[in-house]
Amino acid sequence: MMKGNEQIVCEHTLTAPPAQVWRALTEPELLAAWLMKNDIAPVTGQEFSFRAQPMGDWNGIVDCEVLEVIPESKLVYTWNGGASSRDSGKNDDYGHKMETTVTWTIAPDDHGGTLLKLVHHGFHLDDFAFKMMGMGWKSKGPAIEQALAAVA
Amino acid sequence: MQTQLMRALGDGTRLAIFERLCLREHTVSELKSHFDVSQPAVSQHLGVLKRCGLVRERRAGRFAHYRGHPEGLRPMVQWLSHYKQFWPEKLDALSAMLKEMPLDDEGK
Repeated sequence: MMKGNEQIVCEHTLTAPPAQVWRALTEPELLAAWLMKNDIAPVTGQEFSFRAQPMGDWNGIVDCEVLEVIPESKLVYTWNGGASSRDSGKNDDYGHKMETTVTWTIAPDDHGGTLLKLVHHGFHLDDFAFKMMGMGWKSKGPAIEQALAAVA
Repeated sequence: MQTQLMRALGDGTRLAIFERLCLREHTVSELKSHFDVSQPAVSQHLGVLKRCGLVRERRAGRFAHYRGHPEGLRPMVQWLSHYKQFWPEKLDALSAMLKEMPLDDEGK
């Protein structure tokens, strides 16, 4: 199955210095305080997971593997969450299971703070979702346009 | 629910049927004329779309008329927008936490 190329990018300027931000990204207790319970270790090849309350179709677990570690500069891990149907043997090829990658980049700014950038990429949205989010749907008629405007 | 929706629309023919039905109402045989599949197959696709709320059926005499129900997409849209909001919210939480954190004096 092709890996998706949809991505989410977030940039944040933080007043804390890079060393502090690095700790908040790589120490389990600190990371848990703002993201989710986890057993992260910033070692390439290390597998870990995030655990949250199950919600809807999601079993609350995100499985990860550390891909790249440059202390106080870059951290990359896979982010594989998905439907709980995966566990009941109903998994199929329709791509509702997420296999994505999270990349954190940390850089000092001019004021002793940190520029933090997150890129969450590889979203595998199927044809349907692509069309829904793209222009394709806008031209499909007022029914869909209205529905999307109402629920978006 | 979003899993069911994705499955339903992950099939190219069903997606095309849904799109067509959002434009206007069709009977099964009208639909069949637009697609290279058998009538039972069209009915089966309609069944899947109906079960997850994407298509509505209206009976008139001997015929059933089908119409797309885009409102059925709502769980999907909510799921997507949840993901768009997820990281900004988490990063705000990170920012707040760092402001509370004592400065790191390790190695100094």
